[in-house]
Amino acid sequence: MICEHCKQRHASVTVTKVQNGQAVAKHYCEHCASKFHPFQTDIQEEPVALHQLISNWFGVPMWKSTQTEEKKATQSTCPSCGFTYRQFLKQGKFGCTECYNTFRDQLPPVLSRLQAGTSHTGKSVVISMEQLKQKIEEIRQQMQHAIAEERFEDAAKMRDEIKSIQHKLDAGGVDV
Amino acid sequence: MNIEHFLKHAPKCVVESGEHSDIVMTTRIRLARNIANIRFPLSFSQQEANGVQEKLMKALLTPQEQLNFSYFKMADLSQLERQLLVEKHLISPYLAKHKEVSAVFLSSDESTSVMINEEDHLRIQVLSPGMQLMETYEYASELDDRLGKQVSYAYDEQFGYLTSCPTNVGTGLRASIMMHLPALTMSKQMNVLIQMMTRLGMVVRGIYGEGSENLGNIYQISNQVTLGKSEREILEELQKVVEQIIEKERNARKKLLERAQVTLDDRVNRALGTLRYARVLTSEEAASCLSSVRLGVDLKLIQGISPSCLNECVMLIQPGFVQQYAGTMLDAVDRDIYRAKYVREKLDNDSLITGEKGEETYDV
Repeated sequence: MICEHCKQRHASVTVTKVQNGQAVAKHYCEHCASKFHPFQTDIQEEPVALHQLISNWFGVPMWKSTQTEEKKATQSTCPSCGFTYRQFLKQGKFGCTECYNTFRDQLPPVLSRLQAGTSHTGKSVVISMEQLKQKIEEIRQQMQHAIAEERFEDAAKMRDEIKSIQHKLDAGGVDV
Repeated sequence: MNIEHFLKHAPKCVVESGEHSDIVMTTRIRLARNIANIRFPLSFSQQEANGVQEKLMKALLTPQEQLNFSYFKMADLSQLERQLLVEKHLISPYLAKHKEVSAVFLSSDESTSVMINEEDHLRIQVLSPGMQLMETYEYASELDDRLGKQVSYAYDEQFGYLTSCPTNVGTGLRASIMMHLPALTMSKQMNVLIQMMTRLGMVVRGIYGEGSENLGNIYQISNQVTLGKSEREILEELQKVVEQIIEKERNARKKLLERAQVTLDDRVNRALGTLRYARVLTSEEAASCLSSVRLGVDLKLIQGISPSCLNECVMLIQPGFVQQYAGTMLDAVDRDIYRAKYVREKLDNDSLITGEKGEETYDV
């Protein structure tokens, strides 16, 4: 998107203003945004000191960085809970599991500050009965496709796979 | 089982003794888990909250589950009942605070609790007496796996078990050791040791939660890191640090005995006198006297009082327990009066059981 003011540079700052009870979003480039008087005060009013503090603590560049790519990333919103990266920096917590996917690329620097590494080396999760059932359902559908396409060898393999999962499922039901 | 069962006494793990139980009071293992495809408690709806509760009731209140859990919704408990569970460390203050969505499963022996909709959907907690890191973890991990078959956990190949706070992600494991360190505190070595432990990735806190520092000379030491290390590594590192602290405390006690036996003997017996005869007792004074008496018992300067009674008192001097004992809500001044009476009774009962005579023959 191009800056609505100078119509030259790439717009990287979004300003939402309420005009006559309606929210209007305007897009400006850094340069215009900082020069444009009313917005400058708007930006100043943001509690910059607070995120700066937390951002510094997490070792992540402040949201007002010059790299547009960084900015895009920090502006992304989690589709499941609506959390933004800034909100995460502010609260220090995530809203849902999907946040880990949404902000996956930004997490390693944060985690390396807090933790001993950025990937899990401990025990892996057990597969729940629910997930096993889903798996069976998936394979069953694939099997139907295979049969329709007359790939009977593949279908037979899938049938065996379903059997072995079903076996696990039955055993799990007993020894739990 | 009804809630009264869980409110009357100190839990078994506090009264029983385990390895190094002259210094290590309890071991606690906590695993943080979330259910896949449901938002974290920070942003979920009441409907999702109820969904989590229902899923776990199905998983935990089954005849197959060996632990025979009782289930309580926080909203159904009174303020005092919630406070008592917090003081017993069966639930966290956070769980008690978010009572609209939270609930807890308690095993009848009180060793295990599963908190629902705390900061994460599930917090599995197991308490054991003394120092038993590996055993307690294995026990928690088994329950974790049983549960994991019934509900699908939120898990990521890279980040491990997903949690609301990035300080818990990965293993979701927090192991805590509660230690009584009077000699190291008296000889002013604790500040240096706390700094050392912090550098080694440990967190040091007081027994009565954050900010209570070293009330009663009791410290809670736990791991900070949950990601990038396996459960075993985390537990082994904590074990090593705690063993060093135990040794340092033992040495400090020995030195105190060698260099200042009379002063120490006087101090611990004065503390016992205060607990036996005081009519007004603040929680600070009670905690500090209990610590001194405990040291006296451990060093055999005081006879006829069981460590288990003292452990119990450490718990019972908290405001919730004092009010339960009084049977009514009390202001701070009245609490101090009832606290004195409560501790006096506990110690008198204990000497009836352990035999006061033993002490007299020893003194002669």
